[in-house]
Amino acid sequence: MSSESSKKRKPKVIRSDGAPAEGKRNRSDTEQEGKYYSEEAEVDLRDPGRDYELYKYTCQELQRLMAEIQDLKSRGGKDVAIEIEERRIQSCVHFMTLKKLNRLAHIRLKKGRDQTHEAKQKVDAYHLQLQNLLYEVMHLQKEITKCLEFKSKHEEIDLVSLEEFYKEAPPDISKAEVTMGDPHQQTLARLDWELEQRKRLAEKYRECLSNKEKILKEIEVKKEYLSSLQPRLNSIMQASLPVQEYLFMPFDQAHKQYETARHLPPPLYVLFVQATAYGQACAHMKSSSQPPRQDKTLSVAIEGSVDEAKALFKPPDDSQDDESDSDAEEEQTTKRRRPTLGVQLDDKRKEMLKRHPLSVMVDLKCKDESVLHLTFYYLMNLNILTVKAKVTTATELITPISAGDLLSPDSVLSCLYPGDHGKKTPNPANQYQFDKVGILTLRDYVLDLGHPYLWVQKLGGLHFPKEQPQHTVIADHSLSASHMETTMKLLKTRVQSRLALHKQFASLEHGIVPVTSDCQYLFPAKVVSRLVKWVTVAHEDYMELHFTKDIVEAGLAGDTNLYYMALIERGTAKLQAAVVLNPGYSSIPPIFQLCLNWKGEKTNSNDDNIRAMESEVNVCYKELCGPRPGHQLLTNQLQRLCVLLDVYLETESHDDSVEGPKEFPQEKMCLRLFRGPSRMKPFKYNHPQGFFSHR
Amino acid sequence: MERPAPVAVPLGQAEVFQALQRLHMTVFSQSVSPCGKFLAAGNNYGQIAIFSLSAALSSEAKEESKKPVVTFQAHDGPVYSMVSTDRHLLSAGDGEVKAWLWAEILKKGCKEMWRRQPPYRTSLEVPEINALLLVPKENSLILAGGDCQLHTMDLETGTFTRALRGHTDYIHCLALRERSPEVLSGGEDGAVRLWDLRTAKEAQTIEVYKHEECSRPHNGRWIGCLATDSDWMVCGGGPALTLWHLRSSTPTTIFPIRAPQKHVTFYQDLILSAGQGHCINHWQLSGELKAQVPGSSPGLLSLSLNQQPAAPECKVLTAAGNSCRVDVFTNLGYRAFSLSF
Repeated sequence: MSSESSKKRKPKVIRSDGAPAEGKRNRSDTEQEGKYYSEEAEVDLRDPGRDYELYKYTCQELQRLMAEIQDLKSRGGKDVAIEIEERRIQSCVHFMTLKKLNRLAHIRLKKGRDQTHEAKQKVDAYHLQLQNLLYEVMHLQKEITKCLEFKSKHEEIDLVSLEEFYKEAPPDISKAEVTMGDPHQQTLARLDWELEQRKRLAEKYRECLSNKEKILKEIEVKKEYLSSLQPRLNSIMQASLPVQEYLFMPFDQAHKQYETARHLPPPLYVLFVQATAYGQACAHMKSSSQPPRQDKTLSVAIEGSVDEAKALFKPPDDSQDDESDSDAEEEQTTKRRRPTLGVQLDDKRKEMLKRHPLSVMVDLKCKDESVLHLTFYYLMNLNILTVKAKVTTATELITPISAGDLLSPDSVLSCLYPGDHGKKTPNPANQYQFDKVGILTLRDYVLDLGHPYLWVQKLGGLHFPKEQPQHTVIADHSLSASHMETTMKLLKTRVQSRLALHKQFASLEHGIVPVTSDCQYLFPAKVVSRLVKWVTVAHEDYMELHFTKDIVEAGLAGDTNLYYMALIERGTAKLQAAVVLNPGYSSIPPIFQLCLNWKGEKTNSNDDNIRAMESEVNVCYKELCGPRPGHQLLTNQLQRLCVLLDVYLETESHDDSVEGPKEFPQEKMCLRLFRGPSRMKPFKYNHPQGFFSHR
Repeated sequence: MERPAPVAVPLGQAEVFQALQRLHMTVFSQSVSPCGKFLAAGNNYGQIAIFSLSAALSSEAKEESKKPVVTFQAHDGPVYSMVSTDRHLLSAGDGEVKAWLWAEILKKGCKEMWRRQPPYRTSLEVPEINALLLVPKENSLILAGGDCQLHTMDLETGTFTRALRGHTDYIHCLALRERSPEVLSGGEDGAVRLWDLRTAKEAQTIEVYKHEECSRPHNGRWIGCLATDSDWMVCGGGPALTLWHLRSSTPTTIFPIRAPQKHVTFYQDLILSAGQGHCINHWQLSGELKAQVPGSSPGLLSLSLNQQPAAPECKVLTAAGNSCRVDVFTNLGYRAFSLSF
């Protein structure tokens, strides 16, 4: 055993000694602590590098000793054992050193770990702190933006502009020296100024209101004065009556009419005023150019009982009750007290269709002394105007059978404006009223009530919008005025054209086509075909004819038209012509559809020339109108048809296979017989030369 | 102070007149534009209406697309005939032929390019032009009509180069033999004449009414329509519709139809004909009636097959006649719809 190794082992020994002696240990705890921890403290003192050197050296020593032991063992011998022993002891010492070094290394490792851990905890704490701070920053930024985005109510107020503010505001509000640099103060000042201004305006408003009140009061006072004037004026009028009578001044007569007119319902009143005005205007126009005449072309009068009209204005309950009471009493005597449901409904209908007791008569004189009497009624509950018409002529007319409908009150004014046949109520609101009392259409009542033509409503200033059925309708003067002249002219033209037709029909029925001398140039001198028949046909019969299909399909055969059938003959050829007479004759031409019976039946669908003949009278009617206003159109069209039939028959190509002469020798002078792909015949008549050519 | 009273014209007058005009309208002629997408139709009032076939045939066609794109007054009298060259629309009727530029028409600028009148001998009445025929080989136009002659007009210079005389009454129709430069004409005098354009002489005459099989004296002798295909010719009118072998000038097939025919054409192995009556007749060459397709007009005057290769989608048959409608047949079997003036 070497001395150094024993020294080294010493502390260990001491420690091992101390372990069994427990009491001793407790006693000398502090002392022992110092000793035991010396190894750990020693670690700090020792240099790890040198320990490593020591470790390497010890290992080498150990290796060397091991090699020597082995060497000795392999050599054998006596003293070998001692040497080996010695060497073993040395090795043991070296092992102890190694153990010591090992322990030290462990302690070092543990220390290192502790240090790392400590440092890591510190870092974690700092990290947490950092995050807290970041969060706080974020929050603060949010608050800042919130503040920045804040909107004050004053921004919505429309303030006066800056220049204006400094110019107008008093200095104690504007405080230019403070506010010029500070926009906040400036805004506050401007707001103050705004408030001030508003206060002033409110004050002004109140003043104006009181002013208005005052003026209203004044007006009231003046009105009272005016109404007190009326009776006085009346008494003066009364007093002046004898004087007027004495002087033959018709003021009062007119005045009386106006007085009556006051009781007219608004639409009739408008009509009355406008018609009177138009009549006077016409009379003035005439009198300025011609010596004044007694008769006016337009005269207006009011008919009916004024008292009844006045009664209407009284509170309606009393009078109506009286009437119904008396009615009921009358009924009581004859029938049972309670009327049946049907009778009630009937009464309701009667009540609904009630006319105003007053009506306006308008007489329209035409040049040939014929007069159109128009009576306008107002249906109070339906708020529409109706008219009844009657035509009287200077000389008594012999009424041809076919002219039956021409002057009948029912149809004489039909379609004065296109589509206005006066059989439906023009007031859309009426339909709802009708539904209540079970009236299907007004059509069934027009004969009794008169026709509610649209133009009548317009003359009365009633304008019914198509889209809004419940629109309130007010009588309007301007509407009436704008329609008066045109309507009156249309009425005159209508009557004249009807009278002209009337005359033409009278001859047509006797097979004479009454061509007037000023239309003679339209036709050749010799016309062989003759009209043999002219009769009216019913609308339904017309629709059923096989050759009128096209017209029906084109929508030209409405039930407001009048329908006639003409038959033109020449030899064995018979030409039937179905005629549609539009109520708007002669501005809208009569329309002809033809059917020729000669060598088979020929209509526009199987013969192009029949089609051409139709188009000659229907489309080229303008050259047949004759002198204005063209009332001779129908006659001329019929005569033209006769001529066309002549041309058609005479130019028909002769069938070589049939024996015998042609039935219709060609007498007309024609340049050519056929022309064009559809082999048209020369239908056009050239007047002075007298030949026929193609159109 | 007599002032003329203004006559108040109610609104209805114009509408009624328009309705009557439409009712009495006859569409005499048709022609397809070189692009194949438009159809020109001429009526008896001298108006030409341009319809857009492509719009009317498209899947989103509305009622308006069956109305004319543009309508213009071309002539004073009826427009009896129209043809289209690759740039122009040529129309004729009342003695004059007028040219319109297709490109201009489609831009709705309807100004005539030029007008020519053949040298007529009569002065009392201007003869009408019933038929126009393009001869593409020599770039000329043949006009025929009221003055019983065929006038050849050089399209390059616009001059009338020759007049072929021979007909004794006015000429209804013309047809071109494709291979040899020969033209057929049929007229009111009942003769079909074959003209050799090289010699400007009449090469052959067939007087149809003299053949007992096809003559129908009660209808007259006039030849209203004519079509030719190599050695075959079909003609109709007063006499029955008949298929002729030209070289032997013999009638081979007589088609059994009573009504006079106004238009006839070869189509593939069929013959299409139309005339009095509202049907288009489809005939086999053997004389069998393959089909009768009803149209909307009571009588037909012209058929037009749109075979322009430029617009295969507009390949239709159109028929017009005694109404303001032009029927469109997308396939031959039935009427798809009508274009209307």
